[in-house]
Amino acid sequence: MDGHSPKLASIPASDSTVWADASPLLQAACTGLRDGELIHGDNFNLFAAMSALEIMDPKMDSGIVCTYYSIDEAIENGAAPIPISLDSTIDVQRTIDIMDHLLACEAAWHKGHSLAQTVFSCIYLLRLDRTAPHALLHSYCRVIRATCKAVVSVVSDARAHEEEDLFTMTYGLPLNGDGDDKCLSMLNAVEETISRQLRACKAASSKRRLPEVPILMQIWSHYSPTPIWKKDFAKLCCAVYAFHFFHVLACMKRPQGRGLESARKHIASCMTELESILKSADFIRSCFGESYEGDIDDKTTASGREPIGFDAMLNSRLSAPTPPRAIKILSWKKAVQYFVKLLHDLDVICSYPLDPHLESLLRFVVQFQISQPDLVARSHLQLLLVQDGKLYGRDPFFAVITKAAALPEATKNHDIQKNESILQLGMLVMNLLKILCTNAAWQRRKHGKFLQDWRVIYVQLELAFRNEFGEVSSSSNDENICMKIFQHILLWVEEKTYWIAFRFLILGFELELYSTSEYCMVYWYLYAVLTKLAEKTHLKIAVSYDIAKRKGKKKKDSPKDLARESRIPPAVLFLQCYICLAEGLTMILAALRNEISVFQSPGPFNTEQEKFVQHFELLQRACIPDHVSYPSYKESTTHACFSTLAMYNYFKDAQRIAKEVKSSFSNDPDRLAELRKLEQVAEHNSVAQNLICRLGALDPSLKVSFELSHHPFFATVVVKRS
Amino acid sequence: MEAMPEEKAEFEEAEIKYVSYGGEHHLPLIMNLVDQELSEPYSIFTYRYFVYLWPQLSFLAFHKGKCVGTVVCKMGEHRNTFRGYIAMLVVIKPYRGRGIATELVTRSIRMMMESGCEEVTLEAEVTNKGALALYGRLGFIRAKRLFHYYLNGVDAFRLKLLFPPPPRQELSPSLDT
Repeated sequence: MDGHSPKLASIPASDSTVWADASPLLQAACTGLRDGELIHGDNFNLFAAMSALEIMDPKMDSGIVCTYYSIDEAIENGAAPIPISLDSTIDVQRTIDIMDHLLACEAAWHKGHSLAQTVFSCIYLLRLDRTAPHALLHSYCRVIRATCKAVVSVVSDARAHEEEDLFTMTYGLPLNGDGDDKCLSMLNAVEETISRQLRACKAASSKRRLPEVPILMQIWSHYSPTPIWKKDFAKLCCAVYAFHFFHVLACMKRPQGRGLESARKHIASCMTELESILKSADFIRSCFGESYEGDIDDKTTASGREPIGFDAMLNSRLSAPTPPRAIKILSWKKAVQYFVKLLHDLDVICSYPLDPHLESLLRFVVQFQISQPDLVARSHLQLLLVQDGKLYGRDPFFAVITKAAALPEATKNHDIQKNESILQLGMLVMNLLKILCTNAAWQRRKHGKFLQDWRVIYVQLELAFRNEFGEVSSSSNDENICMKIFQHILLWVEEKTYWIAFRFLILGFELELYSTSEYCMVYWYLYAVLTKLAEKTHLKIAVSYDIAKRKGKKKKDSPKDLARESRIPPAVLFLQCYICLAEGLTMILAALRNEISVFQSPGPFNTEQEKFVQHFELLQRACIPDHVSYPSYKESTTHACFSTLAMYNYFKDAQRIAKEVKSSFSNDPDRLAELRKLEQVAEHNSVAQNLICRLGALDPSLKVSFELSHHPFFATVVVKRS
Repeated sequence: MEAMPEEKAEFEEAEIKYVSYGGEHHLPLIMNLVDQELSEPYSIFTYRYFVYLWPQLSFLAFHKGKCVGTVVCKMGEHRNTFRGYIAMLVVIKPYRGRGIATELVTRSIRMMMESGCEEVTLEAEVTNKGALALYGRLGFIRAKRLFHYYLNGVDAFRLKLLFPPPPRQELSPSLDT
């Protein structure tokens, strides 16, 4: 900089202003600023300086280069032409490409990217009114907008998305559109017109009897219409699919599950359209095929062409409070697969018979989560389960708890539900259901946190019970209903607490939180929790059988009843199978560690005890179970060796129990499937154990590994020669 | 970070010199390494924040005068725990697989331990097998899984190392519960 006043013709000095040389001032500031200071100020420290700058954030990084700096600029430069093309063939091609790409964007959004960078990267959607002259594109965009709004609403209400909060960020985006539902009836009319035309074609064509498939599919496979007709067909499928998908969401939103049956019909229609869309893809490619580079499977459109009318950077200031990295929109094929899975998951939800029995519901939710449903599906499930503070919006949680605790039907009206602890218990159950609908990582953390609350509730209830009734033995014949309620609920709370602890531990396997060197302690702790869970479950069932017996007013027990009473209930046997496997795995791991020093990892900074403390901190804090600690773990496993291992085969026990209990679950395909897996694990491990006992210490070339190949949390022991 | 390099550098492990952050002259070396190898773009103020406030926790590895690796950390109070945090760890590709990263991290952790930290933590991508193995060997456990932690949709593990309690605390265990 020189000392002369700069000559800036565009900003002349006026009467009240004058140009002055600021160089000395800047020089003084440079001297005053210390190294690393962004701003020289009392409260602006290094942390503030670091946090103030976010590289690539367009709100503060003005150097970010974009093609267009505003939507208007993009439109002025022809980025989203209306009409799309005067050539009707090109118009159709490009419309289909836009629809395909929007589907891919929608899937990318569902998968965790921001709405602004995905669906609303579509310039046509950002200025929807412009598309009015193009009837189909206009209707399609309006349905997409309405669908996005519906999905955001469901996910926000469910609040199952704490870790996925990019999803609901919509500030600045034009999500609201009056009369979007009117376009639905327009689409409906278009579908009916074309369906009528196609039916007429069908009547005129082959006289062969066609299998019962939707009319559009029939025409597709058996009639050879002109290429122009097939283009319309492809367009139509996209639009009709969008129309039905919107209706799925609308039906599922109806309270107390009233719209579930209608939703299923729309889901079926969506699946049909998706199938047609997939089929039409090959045709589109061959008919309008251009040469493309790279793998067609990676493209976001069926044709392989880049769509017009999209710019992900236009909304960069609205994307998220993080730098807008270039995200990869899902390929069109993957997008369709995503929606097929989503629709399948929604269908499972819609088919659920709203069972008032909590235990069945818990099993259903756990089973549902095995296929790893995405956020949208899980949010829908959560909203179905918990509405207006009631189960399915219809059953108060106290009634649900009394039913689950095997109390008589009339108990649900008892005044005890106003008790503070009972109210809190209802909240805990409600929260449990919500937690079970979140993703596995979040779920595990919440389970861990809430264990303490379940323990506290138990203690509070027990205290209240003692205050009311003093020390009463559990086998008392007192008919006092209040005492009975307390007893049953206490038992039920304990059982549920151990169930949550069990879920906490096994989710660790799914999330890959345990290294093999930690498996021994994990299986040992799992064994301890399962033992308690089985005990409480058995007690609970015994008490409920007692109630049933009294209800039946049987004067004399028949031999059959006595036999049934002394038999271990199948649910408990199932848990005993788990217990045997956990014990077997603990012992085999301990023996391997003690004999040949594998699966231990002494680090330079800490010991196994610190790892134990960290993994089980939340369980220990809640005393679940009591009297379980690192010293007791060491005591149980220190003396394990190959010779003690050879003396008892827990895996054989597990195999036997699994076989025995199968017949009790003949109507439960999920449990049968799991029993088969447990049998496989038990069988493999039994063989492996025998091998290790015979050869383990002698053969250094034997390599043992633990793989979750047959069961999600019980490892299979694999023995190989290296 | 522990991926097999295409071109390995030839060196003896004893030739690697490890130094603690010594001043402004080290800053551009650290910045260049991290900018080159890691995907996160940091401003110079981010680097200054770490090395100015906790110079004793950052280390550089040199081979024949060339900076080949660095670790940048901090420590502080976090929810009633005095905790160390490993912010950046880089070793350039030709020098990987030879224990340099392990040595850098070990020095930093030792310093944290001596400074009274109760635990050390960091995040790592679930797909970063090298980092997970490195930290696993040092005694870290995978405490949590963070869903879609990184913007590319990849999950992260929160890794934590708990130091054993210092001897004098064991005298009165009942007071701690």
